[in-house]
Amino acid sequence: MHATTIRSPQALSPVRKSFVRRNLPYLLIAPSVVMLLGLIAYPLLFALKSSFYFWNLQVGPQPLAFVGLDNYVQAINAFDFRAALTNTLILSVVGTATEFSLGLAIALVLLKALPGMNVVRALLILPTTIAPIVVGFLFRYLYDPGGGLVTWVLQSLWLPVPAEGILGSPSTALAAILFVDIWQWTPFFAIVIYASLLAVPDEIIEAARLDRASAWTILMRIKLPLIRRTAIIIVMLRFMQIFNTFDTVLVLTRGGPGTSTRTLGYSLYEQGLVNFNVGLVSAQTWIAVLIVNIIVALYVFFAFRNEEW
Amino acid sequence: MKSRTTFYTALTYAAGLLFLAVFIGPILWFLALAIRSAETAFEMPPQLTFEPTLDAFRHILVDPGTNAPQLVNSLIVAIGAVLLNLPFSVPAAYALSRFKLRGKKNIMLWYLGLLMAPPVAFLIPYFVLITRVGLQGSYLSMVLVLQTLTIPFSVWLMKSFIDEVPAELEEAARVDGARWHTIMWRITLPIVRPGIIVTSMFAFVFAWNNAAFPLVLSSRSTATLPIGTLGYFATSGVTWNYIAAAAVLAMIPPMIIFLVFDRYVVRGLTFGSVKG
Amino acid sequence: MTFDIGNMSRRNMLKSASAAALLASGVSSLVAPRRAAAAGTVRVLSVEDPFFFAMKAMIPEYEKETGIKVELESLSYEALQTRLVSAFVAKTSDADVIAVDQMWLGQYLDNGWIISLNDFIAEDSDIDLSDFIPEVLYSSNMWRGQIGTLPVAAYAQGVMYRKDIFDEFGIAAPPSESSEDWTWTKYLETLKALEGKSFGGNPLFPTVVCGSQPSPITHMFTQLSVSHGASWFKSFPGAPWDFSPELTGPAWVKSVEIYRQLYKLSPPEAINYVWFDAGTRFAKGDIGMFYWWTPYFYLVKNSGYMTGKKSDVMDKYATAALPKAEGLPQTVSLGGYSLGVPSSSERQEAGYAFIKWATSKATQKKMALWPDLNYQFSDFARASLYEDAEVKAVYPYLDVQYAMMKQGNGKITRPPVPGYTAVESVLGLTLNQLLTGSEDPKTALERTNGLFESILKGNLMIPYQKESFADTLDEAKTLIGTLGKA
Repeated sequence: MHATTIRSPQALSPVRKSFVRRNLPYLLIAPSVVMLLGLIAYPLLFALKSSFYFWNLQVGPQPLAFVGLDNYVQAINAFDFRAALTNTLILSVVGTATEFSLGLAIALVLLKALPGMNVVRALLILPTTIAPIVVGFLFRYLYDPGGGLVTWVLQSLWLPVPAEGILGSPSTALAAILFVDIWQWTPFFAIVIYASLLAVPDEIIEAARLDRASAWTILMRIKLPLIRRTAIIIVMLRFMQIFNTFDTVLVLTRGGPGTSTRTLGYSLYEQGLVNFNVGLVSAQTWIAVLIVNIIVALYVFFAFRNEEW
Repeated sequence: MKSRTTFYTALTYAAGLLFLAVFIGPILWFLALAIRSAETAFEMPPQLTFEPTLDAFRHILVDPGTNAPQLVNSLIVAIGAVLLNLPFSVPAAYALSRFKLRGKKNIMLWYLGLLMAPPVAFLIPYFVLITRVGLQGSYLSMVLVLQTLTIPFSVWLMKSFIDEVPAELEEAARVDGARWHTIMWRITLPIVRPGIIVTSMFAFVFAWNNAAFPLVLSSRSTATLPIGTLGYFATSGVTWNYIAAAAVLAMIPPMIIFLVFDRYVVRGLTFGSVKG
Repeated sequence: MTFDIGNMSRRNMLKSASAAALLASGVSSLVAPRRAAAAGTVRVLSVEDPFFFAMKAMIPEYEKETGIKVELESLSYEALQTRLVSAFVAKTSDADVIAVDQMWLGQYLDNGWIISLNDFIAEDSDIDLSDFIPEVLYSSNMWRGQIGTLPVAAYAQGVMYRKDIFDEFGIAAPPSESSEDWTWTKYLETLKALEGKSFGGNPLFPTVVCGSQPSPITHMFTQLSVSHGASWFKSFPGAPWDFSPELTGPAWVKSVEIYRQLYKLSPPEAINYVWFDAGTRFAKGDIGMFYWWTPYFYLVKNSGYMTGKKSDVMDKYATAALPKAEGLPQTVSLGGYSLGVPSSSERQEAGYAFIKWATSKATQKKMALWPDLNYQFSDFARASLYEDAEVKAVYPYLDVQYAMMKQGNGKITRPPVPGYTAVESVLGLTLNQLLTGSEDPKTALERTNGLFESILKGNLMIPYQKESFADTLDEAKTLIGTLGKA
């Protein structure tokens, strides 16, 4: 991967033009950066400022007092915070890893390019296009202990379904939420990996075949390294998205039973939009943003170490 | 050897069927929920045959038809988000692809980093912000705020498409005396049209599917479909047929788009691997 | 940190650069800001509870009578709450009438988000304030001597049971009037008589509870606990207010033990049941008896919430009084929705006029007699409607419901104090854990008590720094009398 650079133009230009030309890339980037900064800076700064105040809309309409780091201390000590953090990390790590592995496997099957498989591939992307809140409703129906399709399939396969229902038992609820995400996003991984593998030039594969490399070796030594960049990016994207999971939890379990499916996103929703503790939720927001930033920064550092831009 | 190939072919088809059952089956089951009578919805074992009825769709679209205007609103917001997204993200992607920039890596990561922000925590500040500029309840407010999701994703996706256009083409045009904007408009953009299509598809879906922002930013006349589906899940009752019908309605446009433009998805959704 | 919108007019904003750029790109339809309503309209923001559908059906009549156009918007509970508070924080005029849950009254009034209706009512000669059940007004509409809202749908709790099942097993029907013989102990015994039974070839569950956190389980459990005399705080609503939590008392422990037993007699999936799930389950036909909010008195006759289709139990169930605890006066949980006027509204008088109409005896009666959806509204706060023969013919259980209302006290059951939802989420979670877990109730409640205390301290509720208000039913009745006399 090397960037293609446009050499400076040969023609002489007036001074004004050369300013545009010299700064062209920055001028092209600027509108989007300004727009995003404008949109994201306000809520971030709003949250930053609020996080140092005691401001609970249930107690008073205005911030009542500057409280320093009290909100942060309260946020960390909140009874549910650690459970939410653990669940969120489990969801993000296990979810992303599973979606990638399954997606890769599906992509390899699709690459067999048998007649008719194109239809399968075209249809496969559909779960990814559905709104998370709708997916939440869909699975609430599927998981229904009385007449849900998933419940019925599991029972038909003689698999144990908890008496409380799949979403009602602490032993299965988080896995059920995880499954929803996997169901929705594995196709995305499959299609992206498929598209990337499709772009691997045939000559490279042919050459390896002539060297009598096994299919496994070709996959591990040639194909995967070639799509490494894609993998790094989509894994990162998904990780961040799952980290903010909220809609599906709201519709499916509201964090229950107990704290078993409570996520950071849901905690933020509850503190902010149910309890209206603006100060506390602002502190929690910043803690969440910092945590995911650290994780992603570490990930980027190691994953992109050898990548050129 | 022959039988082994047949075996693998059979296995591949079996896998294909399994994929369809797992990933498409639930969607069809939900569709069935929308067109079956409420009494058969929770039968155990599940009833595959039923008398189809369009009552639920009539309820959501015609009488009282709460969701019909929401469908239009969703379309306006999603298309608006796409249209606003392109002039911001395409030039940025072009610059990041074509020029040597100091800190390019950091700029790219900065875009992506924006997706880390938890939207649900920002609803109150966004509402305050939008009210301050006098846009509360407008389509524009949703279209604007949605850019925080669409622009970063689009810049990344678009850049990978532009990366694949051989620089030689532009170089040749430049030798012929064409200027950079002519080159961008006449040569690069037409070639990356598939990229623009795929980028727009994802921007559309992100905007279409977003439930958090309209929760506070929409009003009665601008509420979108996800808000509409929430309405059938009230505290006093849930009407599964209507939820399913509204949900199916919400599923259709993105699905049509992805099925129609399927070839572009496959050709380009690589996030910049392989070539370069 | 203030959030004044400033005086920038909307028209100027539209001219601003960013909007203009968008306009130029040919999407002018995108810019359609929330209009300030024209004179002659009233904007109503409601929640989609049963009353909404009946009220909506009456609105054309109101428009015809008054010439005022009603812009009615309905939202889910979550969306309504989010939208309202955001609007309050931004100080915008989002509506002229809003639906207010009983829990929110204190917060809305204290923060100046809605106006007191006292002056309107005092000047109004035909509102007939004394016809409202005083217990309802006290529980849902009055805060610090102000009437902030008027009730459009008032809920109490009561028992529903299956006549056919009770007959089949020769079990005595629960009484329709409260008595010293109809206790929670007796209730449990009755349920246990149904344990392990089948009915019509299907296994029967004696009862059903709500197990979902935070609100549904709290709503159902607190009826049980208030019956046993449990109170949340050291001193509230009587003055001086002291919000030191008191969850460790024996009444709480006892209530948890009973609720656990009730869960064991319920379908196991009830652990995840929200409000309507319990009612829907009863309507499906495999539940013997349960207690819940009074709207379920009529909701269970329908299968499906907005379809008007009749359920299997339509003609087979009856209602009964709530059981009480031995030797203690009964207290019934009261809740429901009321209508208020936001202080940001520019047409508060129009708002009040709509509220007066929607909560009037005449309108409420018409809502009750609206036949669509299989008659789906009997949540009157108007005492006279409980005597109305026409209404009673449609809703045969009104005597039971009225008797429950008269024993109601929402201020004790779920104290509508600032910060309520934060402590409710903790209580709901603990109760939810206790249903399936094996933890000792006392230990769990002590832990919860500690959490309550730290949350309330964090919210400056302990020690309470603002003024207290001796909030008693008698005071409320006096105020109703004074205001109503005008």
